[in-house]
Amino acid sequence: MSVSPVVRERGRLVAGGGAVGAAATPVLVIGLVAVGGFGPLAAAETAFAFGGLWFGLALLGWAGSVASGRAIEAAQEHLDADTNWTERRSRRAMARIGGFGAGMMLVAPVLGTLVG
Amino acid sequence: MSTETLRDGEGETTSRGLVDRIRASPFLSQLLSNRLALAGLAIIVAMLVIAIYARLTLDLDVISQTQLGTNPNRAAPSLEYPFGTDGQARDLVPRVAYGAWYAMLFGTVTVGASTVLGVGLGIVAAYYGDVTDNVIMRTMDVLLAFPSLLLALALVSIFPDELGLWRAVAALTLVYTPRFARVVRGAALTVLENEYIDATVALGATDPRVLVRHVLPNCLAPITVQSTLNFGLAIIDLAALSFLGFGASAGTPSWGLMLSNGVSQGLLTGIWWWSFFPGLFLALTVLGFNLLGDGMRDALDPRMREAID
Amino acid sequence: MFPKRFVLKRLLLLVPVLIGVATLVFSILHLSPGDPALTIAGERASQEFVERIRADLGLNDPIWVQYIDFLGKVVRFDFGESYVINRNTTVREIMANTLPVTLELALYGQLFGILFGIPLGVLSAVKQDTLTDHSTRVGALAGISVPIFWSGPLLILLFAQVLGVLPTSGRISSTFSVSPIRVTGMVTIDTLLAGEWDMFKSAVRHMLLPSLVIGVYSMALISRMMRSSMLEVVRQDYMRTARAKGQGAKITVLKHGFRNALIPVVTIIGIQFGGLLGGAVLTETVFAIGGLGTLLVEAIEVGDYPIVQGTVLMFAFLFTLVNLVVDITYSYLDPRIQQ
Repeated sequence: MSVSPVVRERGRLVAGGGAVGAAATPVLVIGLVAVGGFGPLAAAETAFAFGGLWFGLALLGWAGSVASGRAIEAAQEHLDADTNWTERRSRRAMARIGGFGAGMMLVAPVLGTLVG
Repeated sequence: MSTETLRDGEGETTSRGLVDRIRASPFLSQLLSNRLALAGLAIIVAMLVIAIYARLTLDLDVISQTQLGTNPNRAAPSLEYPFGTDGQARDLVPRVAYGAWYAMLFGTVTVGASTVLGVGLGIVAAYYGDVTDNVIMRTMDVLLAFPSLLLALALVSIFPDELGLWRAVAALTLVYTPRFARVVRGAALTVLENEYIDATVALGATDPRVLVRHVLPNCLAPITVQSTLNFGLAIIDLAALSFLGFGASAGTPSWGLMLSNGVSQGLLTGIWWWSFFPGLFLALTVLGFNLLGDGMRDALDPRMREAID
Repeated sequence: MFPKRFVLKRLLLLVPVLIGVATLVFSILHLSPGDPALTIAGERASQEFVERIRADLGLNDPIWVQYIDFLGKVVRFDFGESYVINRNTTVREIMANTLPVTLELALYGQLFGILFGIPLGVLSAVKQDTLTDHSTRVGALAGISVPIFWSGPLLILLFAQVLGVLPTSGRISSTFSVSPIRVTGMVTIDTLLAGEWDMFKSAVRHMLLPSLVIGVYSMALISRMMRSSMLEVVRQDYMRTARAKGQGAKITVLKHGFRNALIPVVTIIGIQFGGLLGGAVLTETVFAIGGLGTLLVEAIEVGDYPIVQGTVLMFAFLFTLVNLVVDITYSYLDPRIQQ
């Protein structure tokens, strides 16, 4: 069964963000241990919560753009106040940010289990 | 007309007299012909004078101490005590005046900090565009969608209690930053469309140099407008957080705390002056900033106006 | 009628919104300093007691396990029991009692804002640059500038203390020892349903000032938006064409302009509803109405985390739900939206 290009496109965005998030996690954990004086497990847990911030934010943003995206676009068009906001761009950005957060939330437990 | 505003901001007209410059600037001349905006400015100046006078002449320790035994307790406003005295027999006049200093000081820090953060994020988003722009601005959009007081309430809990009013300042700074980022990004994009920026880059100017020397100065007008409008909001929200118990620590002469006391202890006993005077000063100050900010927005170049709400 | 799919799709969006807010709340609580178990137990509690609470809350598990547990609770809308404010009562029970209070307040406040804000905005636009227009605009600006925790006390002092015509605080007179049968939890509606006329009058008298205070802010915002939107519409081409056809100018404005001008105003109503909820927190405090807002403030102060999580999610739910209604109204006004 072939995957539709739309889904593949979205998957690519999420995966791209996820890769960045996954790569950033060890850096953040090592930084917290080295500079912040955290224990390894506490650092991994903090990284998880930090990733959670972005993941939660992105979920909200994605749902918000889908829910009222067209209304906002139309209202801006109507008032002739073009702020360059489009539903599509917003959704794409949210997919990236959400992928970043999710990547962190997936890698942090692995790191935490390894070091803890 | 719009390009003239931009050039005026660049400072190449310093040799001309002040009056000429004001006349030549559509922004200032339009603002000065707006009577409501001038009234707002007058209120702000008056409050600033009160605030600075209170800071210089009053001793915070003295006006925070209980005056039981020295002053009449809970005295109604009279010639001797125009604003009455509170439950600790403290004269309310110096306390309300000192409240102006608190409002101005913490308002300035809050608005200042969110301006700096917002300007940084907004300019970077506009200049680099593409993914950077999208990630920064869409995050800001989500934060903007949160109800500001509720978001501030959720955020104050992150910071430790000992910080007192600084806790409220930190939370509100985070709440307001997206507004500035959005305004600055919009303004910066307008500036970046100008051809001379391309020319500067072609001549070998570095990114930070272009941003600081050319983009930022031309964004100053919308930033000022947004700061003014936000100042009133910051003062109200700071007072609201103090009112709810997440700001100034007990005994501090902040308007929000005085109002909280007026509600919790003055309502049933009918002591109206505990609420009336601090609230009057608070509302007047906020009205002043809103009047001035509204006038400034109307006087602003339409191309710069769109992002400000 | 709207296509059912459209409404259903919008309703489904509540799921990511709630999971998103839950994740944010969870992360923020974890990143904030302080040991929740210690906060709950109190500074002087014994070590064993703190340990027991920690085990109860699952704080000994790694954060990822706690997160999964928490999501499970969110799905069931079950946040366990309150630790400090109302020991041994489930958060769900506490919220069932406080939610209708806030809902009632927000409902009347919003109603007041819409009923007065829209006509004022239209009036201001139709009489542009006259004295009426100027006073409406300055009035709206004053409405935004006056904090609830000042206008509220002043109105209470005037109407309750000086004139003695309205009650000071609470939701219903304490002389009614029997509470009306609980149907919706909103006193004005429950008393009416029960046919208790005297109680209903008392409830309405208690609601008057709070709804006025909270509604003024949204009235000010709505009238400002309505004015600028109306002026914008009047300037557009098709309005000029309509006028050229010979209809009376003002009737044209009202007939053709109104519906189009409403479109951006409806969006503003959705966005400002969040501000209204924030205002509810302050209004409930001023009028001593124990609603969701005062519950949240109290829970943050004493560190009752289950209640903080529950109330924040409830606020997010309300805000999203209202915006959903706004979205549906919007697509009714502007059919291009639904596809």
